[in-house]
Amino acid sequence: MTPPPELPTLTDDSEDDENLKLKERPSISIRMTIAISYALFFLLCVAITISSFWTISILEDKIKFLEITDNYLVEIQQARRFEKNYLLYGTNLDDALEHLTNAKKILSANSKTIKKIMGEKIFQSNSDYMQKYHDQLLKLGGEKKTGKIDDIVPLLRQYGGEMVSSAEEFVKKERGSVARMLMMAKRVPFYFISGLLVLIMIFVIYLTQNLMVTLKRFMDYTKRIGEGDFSPIVPAKKFKDEFTKLAEAFNTMIRELNHKHSILLESHKLRAIGTLVAGVAHELNNPLNNTLLTAEMLKEDLTVLSDTEKIEMIDDMINETVRSQVIVKGLLDFARESETTIKPLKIEKIVSEAIRLVANQVKMAMVKLKTNFEDNLPGIYGDEQLLKQVFVNLIINALDVLPPGGEVCVDIHKNKNSDFVVVEVEDNGPGIPEHIQSRIFEPFFTTKGQSKGTGLGLSVSKGIIRKLGGYMHLKRSSESGTIFMVSLPAIESPSEMMSKK
Amino acid sequence: MEEQKLKIMVIDDENIVGKRLKPALEKTGDIVETFEEGEKALARFDKEPFDIVVTDIRMEKINGIEILERILAKSSRTKVIIITGYATVEVAREALSKGAFDFIAKPFKPDDLRAIIARASKELKS
Repeated sequence: MTPPPELPTLTDDSEDDENLKLKERPSISIRMTIAISYALFFLLCVAITISSFWTISILEDKIKFLEITDNYLVEIQQARRFEKNYLLYGTNLDDALEHLTNAKKILSANSKTIKKIMGEKIFQSNSDYMQKYHDQLLKLGGEKKTGKIDDIVPLLRQYGGEMVSSAEEFVKKERGSVARMLMMAKRVPFYFISGLLVLIMIFVIYLTQNLMVTLKRFMDYTKRIGEGDFSPIVPAKKFKDEFTKLAEAFNTMIRELNHKHSILLESHKLRAIGTLVAGVAHELNNPLNNTLLTAEMLKEDLTVLSDTEKIEMIDDMINETVRSQVIVKGLLDFARESETTIKPLKIEKIVSEAIRLVANQVKMAMVKLKTNFEDNLPGIYGDEQLLKQVFVNLIINALDVLPPGGEVCVDIHKNKNSDFVVVEVEDNGPGIPEHIQSRIFEPFFTTKGQSKGTGLGLSVSKGIIRKLGGYMHLKRSSESGTIFMVSLPAIESPSEMMSKK
Repeated sequence: MEEQKLKIMVIDDENIVGKRLKPALEKTGDIVETFEEGEKALARFDKEPFDIVVTDIRMEKINGIEILERILAKSSRTKVIIITGYATVEVAREALSKGAFDFIAKPFKPDDLRAIIARASKELKS
């Protein structure tokens, strides 16, 4: 079912509620978004700088450590050379022992650093190998005279080899790690800058998208408001930002506009009443004249008239009085100040009443008015008075441009492709000049001159129709005539409307 | 002294107007014919001219100004009195400029019209 559209009235304060709701939203302003983003960028920079310092200090340690291990390696390699010389040429074994002692000193002096970098296990195994090698060297020195060195040499070679290869491997690993760290230290700024660039781009795109989309929405709002839709704005975002403030300002403006529009509507209605009053006064003169003539003649001929004649004359007076009453009631219904009430209506009934109201204008203009209403029209939602105002206005506009003998045709049909009921008011007048066609719905635009038109008719009418969820536009205007079209959303089925009643 | 009878035609699409004016105007001894449709009245006029024509200005098919023009074209001595439902200066000026004898605004009393007819008949007889 089509929900009835809401017509804000003068006393409506739903916009206030809307603004209150906006105020209650959690606040994430654009300014805050930017500030937070900058803070994040700053923190990122700090983190990168700190990590760079950290990398460099580790590198320093590693390089220092490499020097130590280099020295250590040189010492144990020397020790092994002297050991080999001793075995081959019988040179002094003390040199080997001396270098080994140096190596031990280096190891123990820097045990803390080495342990930290090598790890306890490797450090321990290294020292073990060295100790075992040392033991074997001492043994070798002891057994020199006995010549029982065959058992010692293989062990010596094994421990020595393991000691050297373990140290070499470690040094190699360490060099590799230093090289990797250096490489990383070289790349990090590059990665960082690229990352930062991407982040900034994403941020800028997000912000502009965000701004553009919201600005576009506000542009749409102004268009909507311009067309007379004064329902309050509900921003799409969940959070409060600068645009929420703008939306609040818009809602305040909309409320003011709505208020002014109601006054405009009222003044336009008064204008229409003014026009209709002339016609009604004219129309009233006929039954009044009939009553007056009859009363005068009754009085004049009271004694000569038969009872039947008298009764006929009295009946005439009664009927003409009732006729006057009907004429006055039509105008009163139209003029009566009443709250806007949206309810299901029969469009053909509204249009017929509007036509009856302007019947006298039609007569005075000596114009023919034809109607063509489709059968079984669906109902619509609307306010009786406002809708009558729209159709009275459209017909009077047509009469204003028609010469005697002109024709106005009011056609109502259901649009076959959509759920709209369409009312077309067609005249065969001279048409609206093309250069002003785009301006006719502007408020205060009139071609009739200040004395005759306010320039509000079409703009107010369009506003009324727009509020009811319908459309009003100029369908066609040429030298052969003009068609104004009003489309209103249909209530789904006539039976539904009947059941509502 | 015997007065010559005047032939008066009343045209108004409100049938009560004719119904009431016929006896009212016949009291002076004049001959009164009433019509609700302009075309029928003109057709009758074509057969036989009338001295005075009282016509409503605004009717469905043919308006009083046109009736005025066509009657004066036929018989220029005929006095045409226009009934207006809503007296405006423009309508009165237009009617008078086109040769109407006078106009009377609705609502009026029979005596008001009788007075105008009396003036018209005076002019006719002079």
